[in-house]
Amino acid sequence: MIALVRGELAKLLATRLPLAALLTAFACGFGFTALLALVGPGDSTPPLPGVETAEGVGLVVGMGGLLLFVPALIGTVAVTGEYRHRTIGTTFLTVPRRGRVLVAKLLVFGGLGLAYGAVAAVGTAGALLAAAAMRGVSLGVPLGALAVMLAQLALAAAVYSVLGVAIGALARNQLLAVGIVLGYFYFLEHVLLLIPGVNVIHPFLPGGATAALTDFTFLSEAIGEQIPISMPVATSPAIGALVLFGYAAVAAVVAVAVPLRRDVR
Amino acid sequence: MNPTAIEVTGLSKRFGDVEAVREASFRAEPGRITGFLGPNGAGKSTTLAMLLGLTRPDTGTARIGGASYRELADASGTVGAVLDTAGAHPSMTGRGHLRAYAELGGHPIARVDEVAATTGIGDYLDRRIRGYSTGMRRRLALATALLGAPSVLVLDEPSNGLDPAGIVWLREFLRAFAARGGTVLLSSHVLTELQHGIDDLVLIDRGRVAWSGPLDDFTGSAANLEAAFLAHTMEVHP
Repeated sequence: MIALVRGELAKLLATRLPLAALLTAFACGFGFTALLALVGPGDSTPPLPGVETAEGVGLVVGMGGLLLFVPALIGTVAVTGEYRHRTIGTTFLTVPRRGRVLVAKLLVFGGLGLAYGAVAAVGTAGALLAAAAMRGVSLGVPLGALAVMLAQLALAAAVYSVLGVAIGALARNQLLAVGIVLGYFYFLEHVLLLIPGVNVIHPFLPGGATAALTDFTFLSEAIGEQIPISMPVATSPAIGALVLFGYAAVAAVVAVAVPLRRDVR
Repeated sequence: MNPTAIEVTGLSKRFGDVEAVREASFRAEPGRITGFLGPNGAGKSTTLAMLLGLTRPDTGTARIGGASYRELADASGTVGAVLDTAGAHPSMTGRGHLRAYAELGGHPIARVDEVAATTGIGDYLDRRIRGYSTGMRRRLALATALLGAPSVLVLDEPSNGLDPAGIVWLREFLRAFAARGGTVLLSSHVLTELQHGIDDLVLIDRGRVAWSGPLDDFTGSAANLEAAFLAHTMEVHP
């Protein structure tokens, strides 16, 4: 198993994907946060709480949760790339016990997701501190609390990577898989939030669970204020975490089990 | 080199309405080069994919040294395979590719330079595979297959994309490999390509093994390989 993890890691490091992933992580973490923290809060309509308040910091970090489709995409692109370039044949010839290959892949991409989350977290923290300093205010939450929030987001990034690997392993076609990831995390999940009755499941979808984990209710509250529909009640951060890890576990099992019997052609 | 025979028994595979392979049985022996000859679409690649655990047979078994490929304790240390369905990532360098598959197969990293030297791609190792010619990709695929120092080689249309010098080199390489006790199973749809390089022949046509045995017996009374080939394929489909 160690050889397999080393092999999958070597495969990953031999491409430019990890560098691109970590640069993207920094851009998303630092750039997106800086934009929100500097331009956004006080000046928008309706005005959002600034970074000097706990709500403001929570808002910015929670918005970061909306970018979690990026680590999912990284996992998806990497796995479907194996089918696109037919390296999956070389891989399964080298290690015919496919389950072990996919377990190694999940471990490596879970790790990359975590690294992505860590870089994004550092970027977010840097941008928040810089924004607070430029506005001459102090941050609305203590650094320790911010670290916890960002660590939760980093863990969520690892979970999303694993989800991305699973979707890629199931769909195999790169365009289709990328379409599924973007369509679901970027579009469908938000649409589901708007349908009365159906939206009660939202807290138990990955996005809703992430929102619960980061205590991010801004989106559903803002929508609730604009349109007269009942918004689902977010679960607690602990339940959100449990739901997310549940998805990761199911995705991992599916990603390992399904390709076992499929023909490589 | 451990003597490791290939033994295919009653192998069948159907894709929808198409019977790609029907009850195929043959052997490939250690120390010999076995040619697997058949026209395009005869079922060669499907048979090899079943032999190598990439495709599941509907019926029958394919064993290498008595075990199915998926059961082999050290698959890439036993069998090296070159298939069209097994590629390389274009944005990796040759070295990065070989290193990754050496790690994955649990083989020493020192093998990377050895197999590159054997296959003559040493000078191109640090270039990205995207820029490789078809012939260089073929050599890289063979280098990948050799990482585990296997005792069996399974090659699907290996001379596709090789220049004449490359074809001669490959023939000599396989001859030396078999002389050391290795088993070689080599598919082709080109009669003349196999004529000079093989000891045994397995002839497959429309999914069925039409003939198998030593090449000399096959040519037998016929004027040449081509005449024998036509005679045998006519026998199956009068």
